[in-house]
Amino acid sequence: MEARNDMTLRCEHVSKEYGGKRVLDDVTLEIEPGRIYGLIGRNGAGKTTLLSILTAQNPASSGTVTLGGQQVWENQKMLDHLCFSRELNPQNAFGNASYKVKEYLRMAAAYYPNWDKAYAERLIGLFGLDVKKRIAKLSKGMLSMVTIIVALASRADITILDEPVAGLDIVSRERFYQLLIEDYTETGRTFIVSTHIIEEAANVFEKVIILHEGRLKLVEDTVGLVARFWAVSGREDEVDAACAGLDVHHVDRMGRGKTAYVSTEPGGDIRRCTDGHAVDIAPLSLQKLFVALCGDETAEGETK
Amino acid sequence: MNLNLSDEKSIYLQIGESIENDILRGILLEEERVPSTNELARAYSINPATAAKGINLLVEQGILYKKRGIGMFVASGAKQQIIAKRKNSFYDSFIVSLVEEARSLSISEDELVEMIRRAREEKK
Repeated sequence: MEARNDMTLRCEHVSKEYGGKRVLDDVTLEIEPGRIYGLIGRNGAGKTTLLSILTAQNPASSGTVTLGGQQVWENQKMLDHLCFSRELNPQNAFGNASYKVKEYLRMAAAYYPNWDKAYAERLIGLFGLDVKKRIAKLSKGMLSMVTIIVALASRADITILDEPVAGLDIVSRERFYQLLIEDYTETGRTFIVSTHIIEEAANVFEKVIILHEGRLKLVEDTVGLVARFWAVSGREDEVDAACAGLDVHHVDRMGRGKTAYVSTEPGGDIRRCTDGHAVDIAPLSLQKLFVALCGDETAEGETK
Repeated sequence: MNLNLSDEKSIYLQIGESIENDILRGILLEEERVPSTNELARAYSINPATAAKGINLLVEQGILYKKRGIGMFVASGAKQQIIAKRKNSFYDSFIVSLVEEARSLSISEDELVEMIRRAREEKK
């Protein structure tokens, strides 16, 4: 494997339009090697589009994607370092729905230069997956397992999983995150994982990328991000006074009471603002701060 | 080690506290190696960087120390140090909020002292 300091994936001013509709708007993002990133955003935020552009499965309308300074688009040398394990669709898994699981894995083995066959077999056993089944006949959970096996066994330097746990029950989801951490502690490769099920994944992500309505809302260290978001509640006037110097993202009202969902600057101290006011402060989880940040606009339809 | 982490508190603080608790309860002895960052990450299914943050917190306080190439160890005197530290924060984290709550319920000082005495008796 090449030196990992060459493995920075850069996406600069990337925009994407589908028939006049802008689904990604000027996204600039740097994926540092050797970290696990979580990508979160609402339905239609542009997550899958961004991931497919990062891995050159989909051309950007404008902007560039580079790996270690080299263009990724139509550059097999760079693509060899990337794995984008998409959600499988039993109706049309890239037209592969009629293949058996083992045939699909054999194709993955041929495509990914670092494919680890023994690891793939261990994972198949762990998930209890029947490889003789056709993709079209798999349940949602089994489809997710195939996606996960391809991603992990690819041993690609930068491995991207799009909604890997969507079809899995809680036991399999926990097992997936265990496997991910296990592999990561052994290989130190880069992962980007998109998910809607935020809470259980929050401790796995070193960094969080929040995408909202096609724009990059933030990329931040998870621990630092969570540490600066708070719910401030109390009587309305007290809450307003306490939150005067803070960014207020969302407000809930009930009678004379009010809860403001706020953030400080990175490294800021919430108590410096709220001390001396009769308010309660409570920390926010990643899921709650995500809802406070991205929940206010009306929901959009899925644009996948 | 207690594997039930809550959402209330930063995970790295909980990692630090759970190592401290293990030292207080004699599960980890002084001059003994503590689990590595990667071992902690796998045990809790958390990012190793987060686990490292929890460990480093204890290194900064002198509760753990690093042996190059071998790992992290419990410092001698760590147990006493943790007790002293927790006694110091006992006032801020328990007594102040106890007194505040008592005041908002109009519990007098005598009543409060009596309650503490009673709780101590019952726990004997």
